[in-house]
Order: sequence, then structure tokens, then C-alpha cells
Amino acid sequence: METNPRPCIAVEGLTGCAGELLVILENLDKLLPFVRVASFPFAQSQNDDGPVDIAFVEGSVSQPHDLEKLKRIRAKARWLVAVGNCAVWGCVQGGACAKCKVTDMLEAVYGQHSEIQALESRPLDAYVNVDVKLSGCPIDKTQFLSVTASLLKDHLPYITHKPVCLECKLNENPCVLIEKNLPCLGPVTAAGCGALCPSLGAACYGCWGPSQAPQMDAMATILSEKGYEALEIMNRLKTFGAPEHLFERMNV
Amino acid sequence: MSDVEKKIIQIPEITRVEGHAAVEIDIEDGNVKEVRLDVFEGTRFFERIVLGHKYDELAHITSRVCAICSTGHVLAAIFAVERIFSFTPTPIETKLRELMHLGMIIESHATHVCALALPDFLKTPDLASFAGQHKEKFLLWTHLRNLGAEIQTAVGGRPFHPVNLHVSGLSKIPSTASLEGVKADLKRSLDEAISLAELVLSFAPPVERLTEPYFLALIPHDDKYGYFGETIQSSEGWQRSCQEYKEYLDEQVVTYSHAKRSLVKGKPVMVGSMARLALFGNRLTREALNVYQATPLFKGDSNSIWNNAAQAIEIIQAIERAIEIIDEVETLKNERTPEKKPLGIVAGRATGAVECPRGTLYHYYEIDENGVICAADMITPSAQNTARIELDIKEVVSQSTEKEMLGPHLETLVRAYDPCNTCATHMVAINWK
Ligand code: SF4
Ligand code: SF4
Repeated sequence: METNPRPCIAVEGLTGCAGELLVILENLDKLLPFVRVASFPFAQSQNDDGPVDIAFVEGSVSQPHDLEKLKRIRAKARWLVAVGNCAVWGCVQGGACAKCKVTDMLEAVYGQHSEIQALESRPLDAYVNVDVKLSGCPIDKTQFLSVTASLLKDHLPYITHKPVCLECKLNENPCVLIEKNLPCLGPVTAAGCGALCPSLGAACYGCWGPSQAPQMDAMATILSEKGYEALEIMNRLKTFGAPEHLFERMNV
Repeated sequence: MSDVEKKIIQIPEITRVEGHAAVEIDIEDGNVKEVRLDVFEGTRFFERIVLGHKYDELAHITSRVCAICSTGHVLAAIFAVERIFSFTPTPIETKLRELMHLGMIIESHATHVCALALPDFLKTPDLASFAGQHKEKFLLWTHLRNLGAEIQTAVGGRPFHPVNLHVSGLSKIPSTASLEGVKADLKRSLDEAISLAELVLSFAPPVERLTEPYFLALIPHDDKYGYFGETIQSSEGWQRSCQEYKEYLDEQVVTYSHAKRSLVKGKPVMVGSMARLALFGNRLTREALNVYQATPLFKGDSNSIWNNAAQAIEIIQAIERAIEIIDEVETLKNERTPEKKPLGIVAGRATGAVECPRGTLYHYYEIDENGVICAADMITPSAQNTARIELDIKEVVSQSTEKEMLGPHLETLVRAYDPCNTCATHMVAINWK
């Protein structure tokens, strides 16, 4: 009798810094007993394009090539997991697209008549249905392993989007926003990192992306009370891809 | 119709490198006409992204160019800004930055040598066969990269995209207990690093190199082997300040690739571990020097594929030097620390350069009187190596009689450079006055 084949995973990168690919590669020894790695071009040269149970996708969609690839991955995957800020929110390149037109950037780089194509940098769910969004910049390895374990057991994982402040309080850190007047974005940033920056005495700069229902207006108000100027506040808040609609109520 | 025989060799995607790249080779009548390394990683416009942000945000943004050398990008940016502000951090912070950088060197080199390059020589096409059939080698990698990650976590807060490195220094000095823990692991890993180097040296390169490379590397700022400096040394004998990089590096846009490339007076150059060893190998630490002196590299064999071995030697050096630094940091902790100077924000422009795992990285910024970035430029190691990779491929294909069979060897050759295509594709041109 044939034993059940092991579940298949694919690990693919679009446009990003390869950070999630690294985190996954570095933790793969823990997964190898349970899964077959059907495709992981960053880490192995023999890859197949057959159906997979879980596809982890890093990076944002920033060129037509990314989009074609994403559609192919969606079609072959049972669960599509967006990993990292780029795939979930669009990261710094998404933040920049909110400030200036991609065609201008392209022209500035490669000249007017370049063959190179670029799209406005967008997260995966702008184009395809995404089953799980695991943010982080890079993702937290414990979260990654627990998400994978859930999916292998056919459960959609629960991922918290409560603010960094919560983890910060649990760590009993002094508040760098209140006590040191640093521009800490912990109140509007999703937890998951264990309040890494404030635990070292530095301000959170929002790398996990927005928390659930972030109070951007209240955040801006407190930062302006601390002496930060409106433009700087908006620049900081939008760096890691927070989408426009979260700022609708603001009049900065 | 001409009866000239035309052929194209294509490697549609090079796996096991960072980012996405392909190779295309045009052959006409048996002669190689053109080689194109097409980097089709999407562009991320980093020089544009940073504009309008404050100087203290540079570390957060530039680290995202590339995960594996994020520490290098952060330090290059910090060095540029601190030069503009004429700021020097405390000696202990300077040492910890170097320790952090060595952590990156270990993690990056170990990952490249073991996980990305070694499978070519072990003939393991997928991860399961690598981990299953070569368990000790797989473990060698896990141990060494964990070591690099441990150093970067102790100093920088996490294995990459550090959160503890800032313009003006560190937000928290690591405790003695955590540094002593790192030191114990460093000592335990030295033998493993030596055996990795010996393993890599036992694999002869499958192809030859025909012309000598033109090496560039930063002159380390003390008399030790190192990664920080101000002045570039070339293998042709000249030296130039990194502030003048625009005068010796010409950057070109090519139509077929998302990555730009840099040449020196029209010539391809090679940067990275082999360049550093060729120029400063006599400064290596004890064990690293021992291993180096027994290699073909030391005898002048400059085959690019030895870059894997050069990286393995640098892992040994990084371990030995990191142990020394931890001792120096602990000594400094017991001395009276000089009062930290406040940061004075002034307008200005400057370049910061560091030797990253893959070679010299330049960051240039212009800052206004409010500390806001108004112009930026980055030259990555991969952009400098690209033209040399193309030349290597051209030479190898030209001398071969079985051109169609070369594909896998060419991939091995490209991989040896450890090209980082995520790094190479961030560019925005700026007009220089
Ligand atoms: S330091 Fe930042 S994350 Fe921590 S409680 Fe204060 S605002 Fe929140
Ligand atoms: S504290 Fe904020 S910036 Fe720091 S790691 Fe966590 S989410 Fe990212």
C-alpha cells in the first residue's frame, strides 16, 4: 500500500528584498520532515510547476512579469500565503508609489524610451485572492512555523493585528513616545515582533504594517504635540505601505 | 538569407541566486557575439523612495534594498550621514558596528557557500536531497548561519533589517552576558569554518578564466583585515577617495536588463572576497591566513569560481576577529566612557562606503538644513560585477568546443559571484552638477 504523499509547498519571490525567502530557507530544516518542497527557485535548481498545498509568496507586484507569475501560483495553490510586508502591504516601494508616479520614476532611471516595464507596486490581494496574510519585515519565524503548522492541519491560522503597544506593555518597557518624545508608531502598527524597537529604547517605525483599525488621526495629533511637522508625520506613517484609505479621516 | 549559422544559448532563470536573472548568449559561426545577463527582478527605485524622508529614517528604508546585506546598506547610509554632520560615535559603538558587520559576513557567506553554491559540486538539485544525503554539510551551514544571525541579533536586534543601528550610534549596548554567549559560540565554530573552507577548496573549478580581473576594494582603516574604509585600492595600483567614486566608476543603463552596470575606464571590474584577499590577504587573522596561504588563490589563480573559497576564508577571519572585538568591547566597558557628543544637523553631501559580502557598496546623500534627504545615489557590488560576469561567460563559451553543454557550468560560474539581483535593481539616475 502506498503511504499518503507528503503535502507540497512552493516558496516564490516577486519584487522584494528576499528577506522572507531567507527566513523560510533558514527554518526549512524544521519543515523538511513534513513537506515536499516542489518549488523554491531561490534555494534549489530542480523545481516543478505542479499543484501545491501551500504557496508562500514574498514581494510585491511591481512589473508585468510578477503579475503573470502570481496568477500562475494562485492557479496551482490550494492556500496562498502572502509573506512579509511587501506581499501584504507593498512595503517601502508601495509607500513611494503613494508619493510619486511610477512612470516618472521609470523615466528618471532608464530614460524615455526604455523597454523596461513597471507597474505601480501593489500587494498581492490587489490582484488575486489571498488566503493568509502574514506580515513582518521580515516575518517572525515562530509565526511562520505556526501558520504553516495550522495550514498543514487544514486550519486557517489566527493572526493578531493588535498594536505593538500591547506587546510593549507586556515587556514592561518605558514608553519612548511619552518619555523620550521619539516618533514611535507602536500605537498604529500591528504586533508580532515582540515590540522589538521600543524594547531597545528606539521608536517603532511601522515595519509590520498597520494594526487593526489604526487611529491614524490620533497618532498624528500626538506626534504634532511632540513637535513633529505634518509632512514628516505623513512621511513616517506611510513609509511601510499603509493604504490611503486609512488616512481619509485625517486633515493634516 | 545568409548561411551564417546563428545560435542562442539561453538560461531562462538562474536559480539559487538572490533575485531573478537570466543569461542569453548569441553565437554566430561558432563565435560568441554577445552575452547578456538580464536581471529581471522588479525595480524598486530606492534612490527615489528615500527623498523627503529625514536622515534618521534612512536606516529603516535602505536596509530593505536587500535582506542578506541589510547591515551593509544601513552602515553605508549611516557613514554618509555622519560624515555630513561631522559626527563620530563612541569607540565602543564603532567596535560594535564592526562586530555587527562581521555577523552579516558570516551569515551571508555561509548561506551562499553552503546553501546556494555547494549543491552544484555535490550534485544535489533540490533541498531534500541536499539535507538528506549530505547531512553534515547541511548542518555546517545551519550552524554557521545561526552564528551570523546570533551576532546580528545580539547587536542589531534581529538577524537582518537591524533596529539597533542608528545615525549617532546604538540605542542599546548589548549586555556582557549576551556578548560572552556569542563569544563562546564563535570559539566553538572556528573548526567548522576551517573544515568548510577545506571542503570548498577540494572542488576544482569546472571552467577556466582567461584574463586577469581588475580588482577594487576599500583599504581597511586600521592595519587589520576589514570592511570599513575611505579609500579605494585598485589592482592597477591607483588609490582614490570613495568621495570621488563618480570620477572612476561609470554607470551605464543597458536596454535588456533592469540592473545598471559600472565600469572603470571602459573596463569590467571585480569586487568582493577575491578582490579583498588579493589586495589585503596578508592582513588576515592567524587561522584564516594559514588556510589562505595553501590555496590556489594565494598563488595567483584568479578563477572566479574560487570566490566560494574566498568567502569561506573570510568566514574564518570574521570569527577570529569577532572574538577579538568582543574582548575589546568588554575592556572599553570598564573604562570611563567619553561623553557622547550631540548630533548637529547641517546641510551637506557625502558618500559612505563599506565592503559588503559581495564587494564595495557606495551610498551618496545630499541633506538639507532640516535633515531631509534631497538627493541619493547607490552603487551596489552586483552592479560593479555584472560586466565582469558577462566577460567571464564570453571567455568560457569562446574557448569551449561543446557550447551547448555548458549551461550548468555557466550557472556555477554566475553563482560563484553571489550576485544579488534584488540589490542591483534599485537604481534611480540623478543628474550630477
Ligand atoms: S514605546 Fe511605542 S510601542 Fe511602546 S507603548 Fe510607547 S508608543 Fe507604544
Ligand atoms: S517595533 Fe515596529 S519597526 Fe520595530 S520591528 Fe516591531 S513593528 Fe517593526
